[in-house]
Amino acid sequence: MLFRLISRPYFRRHVLRTMLTIAGIVLGVAVFVGMHTANQSVLMAFSQTVDRIAGKTQLQVTAGETGFGEEVLEKVQSASTVRVAVPVIEAVVDTNIRGQGNLLILGIDMTGDRSLRDYDLESGDDAVIDDPLVFLAQPDSVIVSNEFAGRNGLTTNSRLPLGTIEGEKLFTVRGIMKSSGLTSAFGGNLAVMDVYAAQKMFGRGRTFDRVDLAVADGRTIAECEAELGAMLGAGFTIEPPSGRGQQFEAMLAAYSMMVGISSLFALFIGMFIIYNSFAIAVTERRAEIGILRALGATRGQIRWLFLGESAITGVIGSLGGVVFGILIARGIAASIGSLITDVYGVAQQAGELATSPALLMVALGIGVATSMVAAVIPAYQAARVDPVHALQKGKYQVLSAGESRARAVAAAVLGAVSVACLAAPSIGGSAGGGSRPLFYTGYVLAVVVALLLSPLLALTLARTLRPILRWIRPVEGALAADSMIQAPRRTSASVAALMLSLALVVAFAGMARASYDSIIDWMDTAFNPDLFVLPSQSVVIRTIRFPKEMGAELASIPGVERIQMVRSARIVFRETPVMAVAIEIESLAETSARPPVAGDPAAMYRLTASGQGLMVSDNLAQLQQLSVGDMLEVPAPAGVIRLPIVGVVLDYSDQQGTILMDRTLFEKYWNDDSVNVFRVYLDDPASVPAVRQRILERYEGVRQVFVLTNGELKEYVLKITDQWFGLTSVQIAVAVLVAILGIVNTLTVSITDRRRELGVLQAVGGLRAQIRRTIWIEALSIGVLGLLLGFALGAINLYYILQIVHHDIAGMRLDYAFPTGVVVALVPTILASAFIAALWPAEAAVRGSLVEALEYE
Amino acid sequence: MSKRRRLSAAAFLWLPVGVVVSSHVAGGVTAQAADDARTIVEEAQRRTDAKSQRYEGLLQVFDARGRISDKRWTFERLGSHGQSRAVLRFVAPPEVKGVALLVVNHPDRASDQWMWTPAIERDRRIALQDRSTRFFGTDFSFEDLEERDVNQFDYVLAGEEPIDGFVCWKIQSTPRRTKSSQYTRSIVWIRKDTYALARIENYQKDKLVRRLDYSDIQNVQGIWTARRMEMADLTRGSRTRLTLDRLQYNLPLKEEDFTLQAIRRQ
Amino acid sequence: MAVPSRSALSPSTIPTEASTIVELDRVSKRFLGKRQVVALDDVSLTIPRGQMVSIIGPSGSGKSTLLNLVGGLDRPTTGEVRVEGEALAGLTDDQLTRVRRDKIGFIFQFFNLLPTLSCLENVGLPLHLRGWPRKKAEERARELLTLVQLGHRMLHLPDELSGGERQRVAIARALSVYPPILLADEPTGNLDTKTGGDILALIRELHEQLGSTVIIVTHDMQVAASCHRTIALRDGRVVEDRPRSG
Repeated sequence: MLFRLISRPYFRRHVLRTMLTIAGIVLGVAVFVGMHTANQSVLMAFSQTVDRIAGKTQLQVTAGETGFGEEVLEKVQSASTVRVAVPVIEAVVDTNIRGQGNLLILGIDMTGDRSLRDYDLESGDDAVIDDPLVFLAQPDSVIVSNEFAGRNGLTTNSRLPLGTIEGEKLFTVRGIMKSSGLTSAFGGNLAVMDVYAAQKMFGRGRTFDRVDLAVADGRTIAECEAELGAMLGAGFTIEPPSGRGQQFEAMLAAYSMMVGISSLFALFIGMFIIYNSFAIAVTERRAEIGILRALGATRGQIRWLFLGESAITGVIGSLGGVVFGILIARGIAASIGSLITDVYGVAQQAGELATSPALLMVALGIGVATSMVAAVIPAYQAARVDPVHALQKGKYQVLSAGESRARAVAAAVLGAVSVACLAAPSIGGSAGGGSRPLFYTGYVLAVVVALLLSPLLALTLARTLRPILRWIRPVEGALAADSMIQAPRRTSASVAALMLSLALVVAFAGMARASYDSIIDWMDTAFNPDLFVLPSQSVVIRTIRFPKEMGAELASIPGVERIQMVRSARIVFRETPVMAVAIEIESLAETSARPPVAGDPAAMYRLTASGQGLMVSDNLAQLQQLSVGDMLEVPAPAGVIRLPIVGVVLDYSDQQGTILMDRTLFEKYWNDDSVNVFRVYLDDPASVPAVRQRILERYEGVRQVFVLTNGELKEYVLKITDQWFGLTSVQIAVAVLVAILGIVNTLTVSITDRRRELGVLQAVGGLRAQIRRTIWIEALSIGVLGLLLGFALGAINLYYILQIVHHDIAGMRLDYAFPTGVVVALVPTILASAFIAALWPAEAAVRGSLVEALEYE
Repeated sequence: MSKRRRLSAAAFLWLPVGVVVSSHVAGGVTAQAADDARTIVEEAQRRTDAKSQRYEGLLQVFDARGRISDKRWTFERLGSHGQSRAVLRFVAPPEVKGVALLVVNHPDRASDQWMWTPAIERDRRIALQDRSTRFFGTDFSFEDLEERDVNQFDYVLAGEEPIDGFVCWKIQSTPRRTKSSQYTRSIVWIRKDTYALARIENYQKDKLVRRLDYSDIQNVQGIWTARRMEMADLTRGSRTRLTLDRLQYNLPLKEEDFTLQAIRRQ
Repeated sequence: MAVPSRSALSPSTIPTEASTIVELDRVSKRFLGKRQVVALDDVSLTIPRGQMVSIIGPSGSGKSTLLNLVGGLDRPTTGEVRVEGEALAGLTDDQLTRVRRDKIGFIFQFFNLLPTLSCLENVGLPLHLRGWPRKKAEERARELLTLVQLGHRMLHLPDELSGGERQRVAIARALSVYPPILLADEPTGNLDTKTGGDILALIRELHEQLGSTVIIVTHDMQVAASCHRTIALRDGRVVEDRPRSG
């Protein structure tokens, strides 16, 4: 009732302001929904691909990414709990068709595979697929999905060029699969070929990537897992297909964490915009509240009036946010998709959006809750309005000395606690960085302190700014400054929102810069070969490999001084996917020795080279709490490697961490001597173009070979790093939006508050341009305040983010470096946004009746 | 035990000598004792024993739309039933020419099978695991080709009936509970004059799903052998015909030609 | 009361002859709302230069509307307002503003001083808005504050002054460019009788010293009595227009 009588007319009268308030929640919820939906879509696309490819598979046997020998298949088939077990190889190849990207090749054994997967043919000779003989006898046979065929105009017996390790080969389309679950996997870019042909085409030797199986009738999956686990040993993972989705998720953990932090900030910012609006509404409606109180409304009724308003705002805003979030999710999903293709080497396209109802409900809930939380303080203040005072005219915006003091005291106390939280772990002195809950408490408190202090700081800064503004424009400048000083709440809410979003931008940019610095430094020694020879255009695609024999061939090419064979593969260590890098350590020690983070530099390489030890990357040590001397247990197909850690080195190959070992060890335990990359050193660095040419000529038409120069590889790595930090640009966009929204909001109120003042100004001779200018100056000043506080909080935030990255995400040890470049670029961006935000309010200020502006009721 | 897993392409290769029975219980049963259904089946089995076999086969699949696909191979077998080894080499059509299959049969467990594909110069083990699936695009399922253990079925003599003018015993065989089969029951016709198989009908519940007809039954070197077999899949509406040419029994074949190394040589 | 001689002030405002400075020609003002309100109904007036005129009438009679029209804060629905012979109807908002800042000084009932600016800044406001150099503007503002006898309150904020003092600041602000016309809307309405009297005396004195044309809207008969001419309005019409009796 109260709502209908009181709130609705208010909303009606302030349509624009109501919209802006709602926009705040829309923004927060949209970013939350957008980022999570995108993230989930990619994850879903991955697990869908896995599921669809898995067909009726109940369990999969894998050994990380490395694959295993063919004999494992026979063992699995002989298990009593296994009804059917079939080998699988997956390879991602470049289609060489413009705009078609990568094709996922599923290498399977047609003789048994049909028990697990359906290969219904759309066209083509049924006998081809029903009769594996034809399919198997011709190694150029592929069956493609209806989707892929349609997109590329392929029919039965069409020729399809694909990149293999033997160079580009023409394959024959022997059949086209009907659209089904299977064919929609990997966005439809799917082809099936014989597993043994795939071994040959993609350099897999006599290994399989995994074995898919179905459990024997009457036996349970658990029984089967147990039997195979005992039979195969620790080097193998036996899990349902969904397990791979979990591993993929683990791999994306770092990214998900960043997404989480970003969307939380967005919600926080949205909360501020709402708080701002409601605080202003309470101030403006004091008289109305006073009358209501005088007429007998209780405090509770007043409080619920405002909370009710915020709930309604929250519901509308959240709904809008959900819709808008889904709209932006597609764009974000595309960028995450390309990111993980490039960064993690797992090709994945999110075909459709995973709009999970649960997530949307959570978003709605969070939106409404955020909105109501933001309104709690204003509602409380409204309820405390004294009817007598409220009906008198006067200033209410000024922060009372008492409140300022209370805030300052609270800030000081919380600040002290926050610092104490930081200090606590260092007293404990543990390598893991002490108590994580304490650390995060400290982080949250630091942000809260900043928020508590922001009105005071905004006020102080505005006072400092006044003489400057007055000097620039005696009237407009001074009045703009006074406007901010007079209404610190109005001003500081915008400033605080801006501060938060800029702090996030600064932190991300700082992290990006620190990562760049570290990665460049690392690459300078770790990536010092003159040339890199790769089997695929993408550095991170490891599904196509070279045979070992190529090493000798490359070494014999004139101009080549030395080669190093690298085999890297994701393996499962302590249930986490980490990167195993096998390289000729002795040679590496001569060319690319780096001072270790821990361990004896000389002994470390010697022991690793002789297979008596392992080196781990700093980030793995950090994430798994490992140190020199610890005994590592690395499960491999041929048994568990038990060796001590002899050195901890910086290595940024993988976010989950890297285990470095000698090639001989890898060959022995994985029974795999294939090579991902050849590192090539030349006699004369000047001969790079010539030797590169020689290598390409040597393998022309024989093998698919990509030769990258040192510079090209580094550029590639940096490009990937760039993509990882593409999130920063989303953050900047959010900051700009916040700047605009917050400032429009503040100014809209400001021009209402200052209506008389602006009227007087015009009455005594102020031109419209001058009125506009004072509004612009106010906007720009809010921008400046936001920038200053944002940079300050950003500097602190960066510290925390780097700590989080170090301890909880990637284990990367990054040096603190303030991102001056981004900060400098933000200044004009935010000021321009502020100016744009001021355009409309400034116009509104010069329109309207002067008489009304000047008159008193 | 392993009998349950004894499903094999190998069995297919014995088609000419009878599908339904196993050698395990082959013994000296006389024609006079022929009324007993089990004895009839055992005797039919015994009469097909041979030291070795060779033939040239033509396999024709007629699908429901009337299309025909042909394959030809040469087949050699050394030994009989549970102790035998066999090599099958495709000669036509060109896409499969040179592909070879080696089958090593074991009396007590599933046979081992390898396939040699010359184009990628690879041999591979074939594990045929799901017995109800179709065998190499034909209308035979793997189970149809399995060597059956006589002891896993119950037989009932259901009367006499002429097939192609020859009087046959009509015997119903039902899998025992220990035996898992896609079929609920089968009806087998065995000619009274020669103990040669004439027809098999396979039922799922009460529905006839597959029928195998034996024809052109000739005495080759004392063994009555069907030169033509035709399996009709009544659900799919397609049928598969196997014709044997140049059939010989008991020729001198060398053990060393039935190894993995041997099939790698062309 | 020490008022500097006229010659010390801006020469531009010296009245040369008893010409018409403000002219209303059949001016009507109607406010459109749910119920149309006629604030002014076909009013024609001429005010000669240098005259001090009071406009009286009960609340709602249209006197403030009349003042707003003369001051260019509002536009008539029909009819024409001319200031120094210039018709206001054809002017843009910015041109109107220029007329205001060059020719008209406003004195409001509630002073309308900007609370955040010092007295000096408030008085200097119109000058700054005209783009006067900082120093010159400040000099003039000091001069004016001294003129209204607030030389000792220059740096105070309006809040720190009494009502009478505030109105003096407002008057000083209205005088900042020595406009030919001073418009005062109930200048004493918010003051006690004694202070009101002081303010009225100040306005009279300034009028005499500076020769500005002064139009005062009031319902205080004492104020009206001190003017050359009194125009009485009722329901938007001029019901009486008489020179000062005696």
